[in-house]
Amino acid sequence: MRRSYVARRIVFALLVVVGVTLVTFLLMHVVPGDPARAVLGEHATPAAVAALRRQWDLGEPLPQQLGHFVVGLMTLRLGDSYFYKTPVASLIGDRIGLTAALVALATVFAVVIAVPLATVAAARRDRAADHATRAVTVAGLGMPSFWFGIVLIEIFALRLHVLPVGGDGTGLGGGLQSLILPSLTAALAIVPLLVRSLRVGMIEVLDSDYVATARAKGLREPRVLIRHAARNAVIPTVTLLGLNIAYLVGSTVVVEQVFALNGLGSLLLDSIVNRDFPVVQAITLVLAASVVIINLLTDLLAARLDPRIRLR
Amino acid sequence: MGGRGGDGLTRRELLRYGGQGSAAIVLGSVLAACGSSGSSSGSSAAPSGSAAASGTPKRGGTLTFARSVAPTQLDPANSIIAGDVYTLDKIFEPLFITNPAGQLIPWLAQSYTTSADHLTWTFQLRPGVKFSDGTPLTADDVAFSIEREAANSSGPLSFLDFAVKKVTAQGTSTVVVTLSQPWAPFLSDISVFANAILPKNFGGKSESAFFTHPVGTGPFLLDTLTPDSNLTLKRNPGYWQSGKPYLDSVTINYVTDDNQRVLQLSGGQAQLIDSVPPANVASLQAKPGFVVKKYPAWQVDLLVFNEKLPQFADRHVRRAITYAINRPALVAATSFGTAQAGGSFFPPSLQYYAADTPVLAYSVADAKAELAQSKYPNGFSTSLLISGGVQKWSEFAQIIQQQLAAINIKVQIKSLDHAAFESTFQKLDYDMFIDYAINDISDPDEMASFEVDVKNGGSQSYWSNYDNPQAIALVHQAEAEFDDAQRASLYAQIQSIVAQDAPFVPLDYPPYIYAYASNVKGLAVNPGGAYRLEDVWLA
Repeated sequence: MRRSYVARRIVFALLVVVGVTLVTFLLMHVVPGDPARAVLGEHATPAAVAALRRQWDLGEPLPQQLGHFVVGLMTLRLGDSYFYKTPVASLIGDRIGLTAALVALATVFAVVIAVPLATVAAARRDRAADHATRAVTVAGLGMPSFWFGIVLIEIFALRLHVLPVGGDGTGLGGGLQSLILPSLTAALAIVPLLVRSLRVGMIEVLDSDYVATARAKGLREPRVLIRHAARNAVIPTVTLLGLNIAYLVGSTVVVEQVFALNGLGSLLLDSIVNRDFPVVQAITLVLAASVVIINLLTDLLAARLDPRIRLR
Repeated sequence: MGGRGGDGLTRRELLRYGGQGSAAIVLGSVLAACGSSGSSSGSSAAPSGSAAASGTPKRGGTLTFARSVAPTQLDPANSIIAGDVYTLDKIFEPLFITNPAGQLIPWLAQSYTTSADHLTWTFQLRPGVKFSDGTPLTADDVAFSIEREAANSSGPLSFLDFAVKKVTAQGTSTVVVTLSQPWAPFLSDISVFANAILPKNFGGKSESAFFTHPVGTGPFLLDTLTPDSNLTLKRNPGYWQSGKPYLDSVTINYVTDDNQRVLQLSGGQAQLIDSVPPANVASLQAKPGFVVKKYPAWQVDLLVFNEKLPQFADRHVRRAITYAINRPALVAATSFGTAQAGGSFFPPSLQYYAADTPVLAYSVADAKAELAQSKYPNGFSTSLLISGGVQKWSEFAQIIQQQLAAINIKVQIKSLDHAAFESTFQKLDYDMFIDYAINDISDPDEMASFEVDVKNGGSQSYWSNYDNPQAIALVHQAEAEFDDAQRASLYAQIQSIVAQDAPFVPLDYPPYIYAYASNVKGLAVNPGGAYRLEDVWLA
């Protein structure tokens, strides 16, 4: 892998993070809504509101506020939440583990469900299994993920009583249990896309000359599929998965809300409603950075797996 | 109508009326009656009124409560969102509270007297009350706490203490409050959570250290608090109501999603939920093992007109729109039978609500006749601003849009996210908007001045710019009037004037709706929204 390729990717990733952060800053400050009013209530006098805004540097012109913000970022000072009056870093620290675990578990579920389905569909192309898989994935694409969530809750929590309805859960076991339905819900949102793309990728591989050669050598079908086809199908899978993990990170906002999980997504939503600028900016930064890092890692991994990419 | 909270559906607390006896509380003589009932011993002064519990309370257990709002911090003087207010009131208590029946009752105070000029109020503290660290409650603590709140220029509710000139301790159990002017709502004002009693000088700790590990006289102690997430409370073993609280501990989980709260209750993960969506009431009620209960609230949903605009400065237009809105139909279509159609701008649960207020009841003929007398006989186009993402507001807006079409007023609905919505209407940058108004205390002065006194009420008459000098004069008269019958008459006149001027249309009176597992006993909520957990027990 060429060094210049890696360096270019890293610079590009940094630019994306900076861009997202600046756009968030501007959007939050340009849309109407005053955090000081929200904290002080309807009866607050204009003087009290102005004093609090001064305390938060919100009275200054936007370019100056932006200046403070950028200096804060450079020195890694994220500031204090307006609402919780605690350091933003500790708020995020308390919650980032849950969101990371949610995304990780959802990724595992997505792979475990999508790869076998796509493999079967590709191997049995145009037969019943393939048609069934395609029909189910088309139907799945049309359904909102929160609906899956409600159905899963109805079955596993209310009828079978094997998993909690929602909430964080206590201890490692409780915590993991409480993540199963949310991560499955998040995973199901990306499984249809994943299956369809993987199926096409595998079919391309199965139609390729080297697979024909392998078959012509008299290799058994499972060996053809696993040793030859699957290996080559891994590359598009990795790229695709990388993109979809980025989507999963975004979907934590909805999933955490539906399952009452106290992760970064639900905190982000509350903080947007409250106009808690420091928290919104910090979480957006964290989410943007993690998406960019995941994409970067997938690109590097794909390059490692596929010599053709390395040359670009 | 204190501030609203983050999610827009919040609010703070307080006390209030209760039919006959209510007004009497303000009078010195009846006062004595209050006092005597509690003078012998703490526990005799009964507690929160109608606990409505069946059977003998059992001690023990943990209550898990899935709640729609989350706590952020616990300083009474600097709180306004419901997530904070109804958490800190389990830890800190004021001199008086409003019980679930809506009556103002002595709490940390046992009795009081007032001077003939109503400028000096003397409170006797309840004997035997201790803070959770074992320190006895003294008059010094009361003086410190109320003066701290009164002097807090950024306190969301410190305006309620504006008449407080001085608070002095006389000995350990007598507190004398000197007012700058005779102020009838005073007792109600000091019962607000913001006037809850803390140990003097935070018991020697720094302010921030104190509120991280708060020490109060309330039934519960803070065990853990994760901001925007959950908290646990545990029993205060030295609570002054002996034998209470019944529960060992309470876990309050923040569950913002309506559906998830209902599911957590159905699945047994929570035993109590708040803010039950009206659409879910019937199905939950039909399920065995669950109870759904409505509690009257000091809350009114309002359609507000911007009188800075010529069309709404025209009284005939406002009256025409009021006539054109079929409030019973609106409520029937949206509340699933949970709310009551609006009339007066005071809710029925509020002291001095006048049931015979002459409201402009639905009549398209009257609406057309009013519009014909206005400067806009052929109607006009306008807009209606709502807070987005709340189903109720968008249903209200669509129904109103339809109903006003009948008198040729074309309404365009504008929806903004809550924070943007609030700052837009507060700049008077709107034509009409829908929002809810609430009262924090048992006395209606807060609501009356906030919605009628355009210059001094704090909100330009709920951002309508409504200005009727006669109504404003009556509001001020009622603030200095100590005779109960007189006050009732003054507030009836104010309600009548407002109903006729129609600066806003009181659309409905929504209740607080809670649901719980049937083994939860003794839950009651006062009209300010405070639920008292010391009376709750698990069967």
